[in-house]
Amino acid sequence: MDEKNIKIVAFLCNWCSYGAADLAGVSRMQYPTDIRVIRIPCTGRLSPKFVLSAFREGADAIWVSG
Amino acid sequence: MITFKINDKEVQGEEGQYLIQVAEKYGIEIPTLCHHKALDPAGMCRICTVELFDGRRTKFVTACNYPIWEGMEIKTETEAVHQGRKLIVEMLYARCPEVPLLKKLAQQYKIETPRFKKEDDDCILCGLCVRMCERMGNSAINFTGRGINLRIDTSLGLQSDVCMACGACASVCPTGHITLEKIKKKFTKQNPFMIPSEYEMGLKGRKPVYVPYAQAVPNTPAIDRDVCMHFKTGGCGVCSDICQMDAIDYTMKDEIIELDAGAVILSPGFKPFDPSKFDNYGYANHPNVMTAMEFERILSASGPTSGHLVRMSDHKEPKKIAWFQCVGSRDMNKCDNKYCSSVCCMYALKEAVIAKEHAGDKLDCTIFYMDMRTHGKDFERYYNRAQDQGVRFVRSRVHTVEPLHDSDDLRITYVTDGGKKVDEIFDMIILSIGLEISPEVVDMAKKLGIELTDGNFAKTSTFKPVETSRKGIFVAGAFQGPKDIPQAVVDSSAAAGEAGAILAESRNTITKIPEIVPETNIIGDRPRIGVFICKCGTNIAGVVNVPEVRDYAATLPFVEYYSDNLYSCSQDTQTTMTQIIKANKLNRIVVAACTPKTHEPLFQETLINAGLNKYLFEMTNIRNHASWVHKDAPALATQKAKDLVRMAVAKVALMEPLKETELQVNQVAMVIGGGISGLSSAKTLAQQGYEVHVVEKDSVLGGQANHLYHTYKDENISVELASLIKDVKSNKNICLHLNTTLENVQGFVGNFKSELLDNHKVSKTLEHGVAIIATGARAFKPEEYLYGKDERIITSLDLDKKFLSKDASLKSIGSAVFIQCVGSREPNRPYCSRVCCTHSIDNALELKKINPEMDIFILYRDIRTYGEREYKYQQAREAGIIFIRYDLDHKPEVDIKNGKIFITVTDHVLGRPILIEADLLTLATAIVPNKDEKLANFFKVPLNEDGFFVERHAKLGPSEFATDGVFLCGLAHYPKPIDEAIAHGQAAASRAVTLLAKETVHTSGNVASVNSMACSSCGVCISICPYSAPSFATQGRFEGRAEINPVLCKGCGLCVASCRSGAIHLKGFDTNQIFAQIFAMNEAV
Amino acid sequence: MGNLLEHMGIERDRINFSWISSAEATKFVEVVKEISNKVRALGPNKKLVKDYN
Repeated sequence: MDEKNIKIVAFLCNWCSYGAADLAGVSRMQYPTDIRVIRIPCTGRLSPKFVLSAFREGADAIWVSG
Repeated sequence: MITFKINDKEVQGEEGQYLIQVAEKYGIEIPTLCHHKALDPAGMCRICTVELFDGRRTKFVTACNYPIWEGMEIKTETEAVHQGRKLIVEMLYARCPEVPLLKKLAQQYKIETPRFKKEDDDCILCGLCVRMCERMGNSAINFTGRGINLRIDTSLGLQSDVCMACGACASVCPTGHITLEKIKKKFTKQNPFMIPSEYEMGLKGRKPVYVPYAQAVPNTPAIDRDVCMHFKTGGCGVCSDICQMDAIDYTMKDEIIELDAGAVILSPGFKPFDPSKFDNYGYANHPNVMTAMEFERILSASGPTSGHLVRMSDHKEPKKIAWFQCVGSRDMNKCDNKYCSSVCCMYALKEAVIAKEHAGDKLDCTIFYMDMRTHGKDFERYYNRAQDQGVRFVRSRVHTVEPLHDSDDLRITYVTDGGKKVDEIFDMIILSIGLEISPEVVDMAKKLGIELTDGNFAKTSTFKPVETSRKGIFVAGAFQGPKDIPQAVVDSSAAAGEAGAILAESRNTITKIPEIVPETNIIGDRPRIGVFICKCGTNIAGVVNVPEVRDYAATLPFVEYYSDNLYSCSQDTQTTMTQIIKANKLNRIVVAACTPKTHEPLFQETLINAGLNKYLFEMTNIRNHASWVHKDAPALATQKAKDLVRMAVAKVALMEPLKETELQVNQVAMVIGGGISGLSSAKTLAQQGYEVHVVEKDSVLGGQANHLYHTYKDENISVELASLIKDVKSNKNICLHLNTTLENVQGFVGNFKSELLDNHKVSKTLEHGVAIIATGARAFKPEEYLYGKDERIITSLDLDKKFLSKDASLKSIGSAVFIQCVGSREPNRPYCSRVCCTHSIDNALELKKINPEMDIFILYRDIRTYGEREYKYQQAREAGIIFIRYDLDHKPEVDIKNGKIFITVTDHVLGRPILIEADLLTLATAIVPNKDEKLANFFKVPLNEDGFFVERHAKLGPSEFATDGVFLCGLAHYPKPIDEAIAHGQAAASRAVTLLAKETVHTSGNVASVNSMACSSCGVCISICPYSAPSFATQGRFEGRAEINPVLCKGCGLCVASCRSGAIHLKGFDTNQIFAQIFAMNEAV
Repeated sequence: MGNLLEHMGIERDRINFSWISSAEATKFVEVVKEISNKVRALGPNKKLVKDYN
């Protein structure tokens, strides 16, 4: 895995950060391509297991945002 | 179809296409400087030269204007091609060494210094401008001169009449040779202007084809016919050529549509006041004097400065900003707007606080005001906080703004409270402009035959707050009077409720019922996944390589069908998708397109039409989260899109059909509280045809309105209240429960069971579908100002009682004093009671009517006669009522000496204490909430720190609770005058009808459920759930284990994550599905 | 969570929490950039990754 190809798994709350991500798109703001979004209904849904498993699957970082 | 090869890869194109078009389709990059897809190719720059092998020999052709033919072989990157391009770049670079584009190209072709003599031109003679001008239908510019003198110019090099300064030439010029400045100076006789963006308040330009703003609904571009070149010259038509859906039709005409309507609701809104006519503020001439609306755009992240706080003249970050209040409001001298615009104090505060957030604490924000009017819910707290954060407040009306000569700063002069003249310099001045009704709306009102007030607002009465003078025509929002968002939302619900009341009979008469497609049972079937990749025109396809993603999707497990669509959301695509799902027996669908937040329901509809359960669907966002935000990295964006599709496919394979529980809504409403707001609510519901039960703990109806004399519009309250009570009593849909309290509530939206207890201790159970809380508030009983020590010291309500009983003693009063804010705006009660200023002024005027010789003093902190209540304040001053301001640190003192009442107050002008002798002292006491915690618990609705109920959303949901099926109105929400209380009651009823009228509610399928076998009865889910959805089962095999009520569950998943036994599953976002997404994330490609 | 991961040898910067309202697109982008930069500085994660051999 070279430096350019890092992967950040983003668990985004459907109502908050996912909306912000949509709006960032609408506003055509540009940001790095590293994140992979997993939409969750609420950050409360998140269990530590997901975080560990994401690392196990090769994620370079995790981002949880409500 | 023509098949040929580019770089040994087989490609296909249409007959008549040029080589460059096919190359572009396949993502093969060929450089060009003179090609534009809207224009005919000209082969000017020669950079697009490629190598062609025609079967016998190779030759060089320009890709932009070489038509394709069957069997030809093209090479775009051979050494010879590269050398040729390098030479061209070298020559152009020598000609125009300062042009950034050529500098970049030179770097790319590794040219350090050209071998040719450097010139200082900036035109590469690509001719794009000439061709574009021709396309615009003008041909104002062309090539002139010969040989080395060839250049672009107008005819004879003179400023031309033909050039319309449209700027199209500048927009295509690759080098910056043609600029708007040059058009203005050299090309045209006309004055080029920016088309101001209405949304950006003219701080930014927009195109003739435009979407008003990013979130506009419908989000469809419109053509501004007044500025579009096609409508001026008949030329251009570029948008029509480019539109792949043939959606553009220049022949469309405005249409007049006739509608049959039983009721009309007017909500035309307001126009921000235009301060250009005030030359003393210099708004028209100085860019650093701007309106608050313009400043909103500066603060906005999507605004012209991307949220960076800078001033317009020099883009410098300001250090000092001043706000001037009441520009175009409360002003009889310079404009005719005598009223208060109600919202400006609050928005100025908000802007000052946000400006400090943007620029840091050092930013000096000063608000120049007359009275600070923060009379809305939680507004006073915000005001206090702004003071704590260092926003400076100066009570002064600034007369003149004077621009400084040596900088872009502005000097202002004002007089302080103490009478001192002060000079101060600011970087920016924001004018807090008022709200006014536009002349077009006034015209419309005339046509409709409705009456207007002095301020040109629609005239309404206090007791019919949303009804205009013409029956059947209702009004909502700022056209009824200047107001903020929550009030406008209340009005609009109320207007809808009242219109619904007169139309109740015809409800559902023109409803169409969609055909129901039977659902295919797919349980146990192997997943057959269909993947649809959307191009979204060029929105996605312009960055992400859609064919590549589509072909990649084909390789994923269980994918049986894959395709791409130009626009997946268009009606015809939906129809095709339905057929494809049926024909291929697909049982799981993935759509990779835009955001599920807006489009998921649409595609779910398509699934339903194809006979699939709508939860067998997953949408992934390759537009907002990929193409739009990674436009400079197409390869990585494509990779990301593939990852997202793979993750979605992995998840959807695990989707199961989910059931939505259908639930009957009991068509009965319960209103708690028989005050004026609750009664209005009951009346509206009953008129809409629903059975209503009003529960009132007292023996009489009418609540606090029973104690009030008249409204500020001089309407008699007791007469109007009696008429409302009569209406309610005579309505057969309304059942009254007087002397009754609520003892218990069970159930949830659509199915509540409430236990009522009357004064004979008889209890009964009421089953109802919705509840409206209208429990009101009461008057504060003060302990200060010697209240209760002397019968001449009374509260505002006591004075109303004297008016009601026509108390003769009022005639003999020589001097009356009112003290405002008794119990309001105090540290322990930091809110404004909203009604007291108007009430006292009104009562003072009433006293003047009884005895014109009476001396009347009103001791106040800020006069808050918002909206057209301001007229009363003006009238009071004209009538000789004396207003004396005090502040919280220097409250008036009341003394009784020798049987006489004396009030000492420090006058804000003289700065000295003055002594007033009063025959009557009226205390304008606060409105305090009942703080009914028991009731709050029954319905699981929150109370705020002050004890008022907290609505679903402070701005957008003022009449309902976050708990479904429970609504709120009146003083239980916040202090408000009668007209607002009635409108709020009507609004709550209207919101309740939206639920009742559905008759059934569907719960979402995305809810949690318990596997009772695995449950350990620990109770964590029950304690953690914010919506009280889980509970212990009380009977059956799994008694004592948790169960979840799908009706109450909002699908947040909190319980799932907290369940230590792994017994809870969240349908649609289940643990295995999220794991599948995580596992799919890093699978080898 | 951060402590747990640190204990397992995963750098603190690899796990990030934030709260962004749906209107705060600018903040969203700032956070993405910030995290991306932090993680790029750290390089690829080696701990805990499933070993396929």
